[in-house]
Amino acid sequence: MRRSTIRPRRRPESLVEIYEVFRRSGHKQPFEHCGSVTAPDVGMATVMAKECFTRRGEGRHLWVIRRADIHTWSDDSLPDPAADKSYRFAHAYRDVVKKRALARSRAQADAR
Amino acid sequence: MSDILAAILIALADDELIIGHRHSEWTGFAPHMEEDVAFSSIAQDEIGHASAYYSLASTMVGQTPDQLAFGREPGEYHNAVLCERPNGDWAYTLARHWLYDNADALRLEALERSSRPELALLAAKIRREERWHSLHAELWVKRVAEGSVEGRGKLLHALAEAFAEVRGLFEPFDNEERAIAQGWLTVPSPVLGARFVETTTAALDDLGLPVEIEPGAITTELIASSSGDLIATDEDSASITPAGGGLGGRYGRHSDDFKALWAAMTATYKIEPEATW
Repeated sequence: MRRSTIRPRRRPESLVEIYEVFRRSGHKQPFEHCGSVTAPDVGMATVMAKECFTRRGEGRHLWVIRRADIHTWSDDSLPDPAADKSYRFAHAYRDVVKKRALARSRAQADAR
Repeated sequence: MSDILAAILIALADDELIIGHRHSEWTGFAPHMEEDVAFSSIAQDEIGHASAYYSLASTMVGQTPDQLAFGREPGEYHNAVLCERPNGDWAYTLARHWLYDNADALRLEALERSSRPELALLAAKIRREERWHSLHAELWVKRVAEGSVEGRGKLLHALAEAFAEVRGLFEPFDNEERAIAQGWLTVPSPVLGARFVETTTAALDDLGLPVEIEPGAITTELIASSSGDLIATDEDSASITPAGGGLGGRYGRHSDDFKALWAAMTATYKIEPEATW
């Protein structure tokens, strides 16, 4: 047997990483986050994810991504915006058809 | 004739049921949370395969799958002795899982060509799931083999221990030659055993795990075993023990480990055999 000095002993917590798992229930469904696994490498993470998140037949497709590889963005000050942004929603334009018809009829009246 | 096939299906189911039962004993105790869920899921898969084999056999023998799984005496189970051994440590569990799923893969490959379409279809279906079990076992074995000296040493020891009984998986079934003649089975068990030794030793070499296997151990001893000297002649089941080398299981000869497992596994069924769940 080889001597144990060849390989430095690593701390157990450095042996595993967190992988985030995304799953979809069918070909036309979006991938959605379903949980995470800790694993020593992506191969093991994929097997763990398969057994943990599809064992009841919830789906046949997974994305398994190292958490460290995910780029995140967040800004906690956003609930307090500088200006009203409600007009950016489609519902803000609900009566735009009515307004345009009105403007058109006024323009025709002016032309006459 | 159909009772010959039924007996073979039941032996196949017994392997899956008993190893599935052992795997399930890790639920709540596996090395980490993900593995706990993963190994429990694999255990459920194996028991599911057993249920499918029992269902095929049940129409031939006029017993329900539950009666077949839980309603027999210990000497009537035909699983290989390897499947009934206690889990021991994680290394032994892993070594047996790896060996068993490699053996099962070869067996299923042969069963897929069975002349009985229902068996061929079932084997193909089971094989799709077993691919994942093999991958699970392989990733673990590879990682431990390439890991610390301590883990590697434990794995080597466990592989040698499990390998010593692996031939029980290739012990011929009752009336195997007639099943072969009918094309129900396509490859004789000792031939599968020889293939298994070849592929497994190559895989162990690749992993740098020097597990010593006596040349011809599986094939020659298996052929000798079919001569009948292993068939239990003693009516007192308490004194029936495996023949050594993991053989005897296919003839209902089990270790004391099996009796403990059987008692636990059938306890609930015995309270109320007719109960539905």
